[in-house]
Amino acid sequence: MDALVAQYSRPAHQEGFADEDQQQLTADIQPPLSLKFALPPIASSQQWLRAMTDDNSNPNCPIKIAHGTTTLAFRFKGGIIVATDSRATAGNWIASQTVKKVIEINSCLLGTMAGGAADCQYWLAYLGMQCRLHELRHKRRITVCAASKILANLVYSYKGMGLSMGTMCAGVTPSEGPALYYIDSDGTRLAGNLFCVGSGQTFAYGVLDAQYNYDLSDEDALELGRRSILAATHRDAFSGGFINLYHVKEDGWVKHGFTDTNGVFWDTKLNKGEFSNVTANLD
Amino acid sequence: MYVMEVLLGITGKDFTIIAASKAAMRGASILKVNDDKTRPLNKHTLMAYSGEAGDTVQFAEYVQANVQLYSMRNSTDLTPYETASFVRSELAKSLRSRSPYTVNLLLGGYDPIKDQPQLYWIDYLASCANVPYAAHGYAQYYCLSILDKHHHPDISFEQGMKILRMCTDELKRRLPIDFKGVIVKVVTKDGVREEPYEDDKQVLAP
Amino acid sequence: MASLFNAQSMLDQPSYSFAQPTSHSEPRQHSFYPYTDNGGSTLGISGQDFAILAGDTRSTSGYNINTRYAPKLFKIGGDGPNNTGSKIVLSVVGFAADGRALKERLDTVVKMYKYQHGKDISVGACAQRLSHILYSKRFFPYYVTAILGGIDEEGKGALYSYDPVGSYEREQCRAAGAASSLIMPFLDNQVNLKNQYDASQPQGFGKEPLKPQPLSRPHVESLVNDAFTSAVERHIEVGDGLQMMIITKDGIEETYAPLKKD
Repeated sequence: MDALVAQYSRPAHQEGFADEDQQQLTADIQPPLSLKFALPPIASSQQWLRAMTDDNSNPNCPIKIAHGTTTLAFRFKGGIIVATDSRATAGNWIASQTVKKVIEINSCLLGTMAGGAADCQYWLAYLGMQCRLHELRHKRRITVCAASKILANLVYSYKGMGLSMGTMCAGVTPSEGPALYYIDSDGTRLAGNLFCVGSGQTFAYGVLDAQYNYDLSDEDALELGRRSILAATHRDAFSGGFINLYHVKEDGWVKHGFTDTNGVFWDTKLNKGEFSNVTANLD
Repeated sequence: MYVMEVLLGITGKDFTIIAASKAAMRGASILKVNDDKTRPLNKHTLMAYSGEAGDTVQFAEYVQANVQLYSMRNSTDLTPYETASFVRSELAKSLRSRSPYTVNLLLGGYDPIKDQPQLYWIDYLASCANVPYAAHGYAQYYCLSILDKHHHPDISFEQGMKILRMCTDELKRRLPIDFKGVIVKVVTKDGVREEPYEDDKQVLAP
Repeated sequence: MASLFNAQSMLDQPSYSFAQPTSHSEPRQHSFYPYTDNGGSTLGISGQDFAILAGDTRSTSGYNINTRYAPKLFKIGGDGPNNTGSKIVLSVVGFAADGRALKERLDTVVKMYKYQHGKDISVGACAQRLSHILYSKRFFPYYVTAILGGIDEEGKGALYSYDPVGSYEREQCRAAGAASSLIMPFLDNQVNLKNQYDASQPQGFGKEPLKPQPLSRPHVESLVNDAFTSAVERHIEVGDGLQMMIITKDGIEETYAPLKKD
């Protein structure tokens, strides 16, 4: 408590900068990724932040943070497939339909974003920086295992502060082969073959689990990833926009398009006869 | 959510069995079906954990690293009793800090000096009890009565596994969530080993 | 770092098969509320070799109008207090005081960049920097929606849009603020040609969607005008004046046109 009082009470006479914000202004000039965060001048900063920004528990909250939605990744014999939708919502408002939810950490490592868009963007960029530093220091690329642990430990240190992210790290390294990790803002870090994350995860799991097989061919795996995201965009209102597809192979990742779900949907319906809940009559 | 995680411990004549559920649950989904919620601390102690996501692994790996560091520095292992005391004190410290670990533990071990198995039940409030058999979460409500009825201190390993089977069958029958079976590990005077455990059999309530 | 709130569930007992009386706790009230919404709207569109940012100049609090001329567009960088020669524009809408603080901070950073490196900052770098400034207040956010416009290193118009805590994306067009839900769908249709199809091609399921083309400057200016005059008709927090900044390789042109004042 004394520390808190000392931090926010001002001496009668003051030289130089008047407040923390102004000091930050000068500090800004030096560190590019500053890890010092401004906090509201009250004791219960965590509850306060939640009251201001959590549109889930409080639909009238003043600040609506953009949230990301359906993402999936799975390991198979040809590497790893990573697929996402591209919709960002703030409350009921679709803030964007063109979000890049696959973050290219480097040529062999991908991260996905679900949850707070800014949290994912910022911390995966930070992870990218740490990975590059590892490369320079050790003269070899970082393993997915180590990279994911950097992120997990990082978000764990902010636990309870209100970060919201569910992310997957996918990559191929010579020592561990194709590797896939799930990391979330609770501090959970799990290695696995298949993960779906976001509000549409259950719909994606439904399609993916039914047809998933480790020995899938590259084409079938890509199609399965695409179809699973399509299923989620169809049933989950918070998912939609474009399907972003990536294939991670030994020699790095390959992008397989940013395709409008609308076209994929009608193609799937008319050519394969799926989605029979939707009528195709034009009159 | 983590009251749905199953941790079981049974001691016998010359062994301690630790069983931990294999499901990693988050929200509406099971993210992993072969999750290992145990960490070996040294040759003769094994720790199983459940609790708040993130806290569990962080705490377990912290304890594991410190117990191993002790072994390296002193060329001798902590006994299960000493390990339990250390773990309890760390939890007690954390409980009185700004950000306590919410982790429940079972510490199974074999004391090579006294030549007897040991089992400690530890919860996130840093209670620690030396017990012949133990459980955490909802599993307590189903399994302790079974263990009360069937357990004796000098049971053989085979009898221990039989009681464990009774417990997991009951959990499969009555627990509302599928915990995806259990990983079973055994501590004896020869150290920690994983025991193959068949759990794909369906058990239905009568 | 488990929160103690979760400890509650540790005490969970298996429930009875019939319902038990439950206690409802009141939601917590917070007396610390350092924000207010000053209304207004902004919008940005980028073209082949220019970017346009626009914003109305009304400032409101609740149902009161504070002033009819409070600019939401700020030049960033350049020389001196008037930012002469700057080629980056920041628009902020939401809480005006936070907007001003953000602008001051970004402006300082951009000016210091030139002082230290002897060259102007690129829009891309400036955009990332703005993201980091917003994120540095992740746990005590700026209550603003920002849009940044400029000319990129290839001479093309660049436009970046942000959420309050700094997630950002480069886009062709973006509306923000009170009337964003009125303006953005209009922009989707008119700039990105969403749901528009080629009428000369066969219709039906395979019909050909129109491909968005870079728009000319007069066309974009008329779109901005239409967007705002329409928003003024249907939103109480928008009106009074329309400030526009057009960024080209030669610098920033600023225009002002009156909007309805009722």
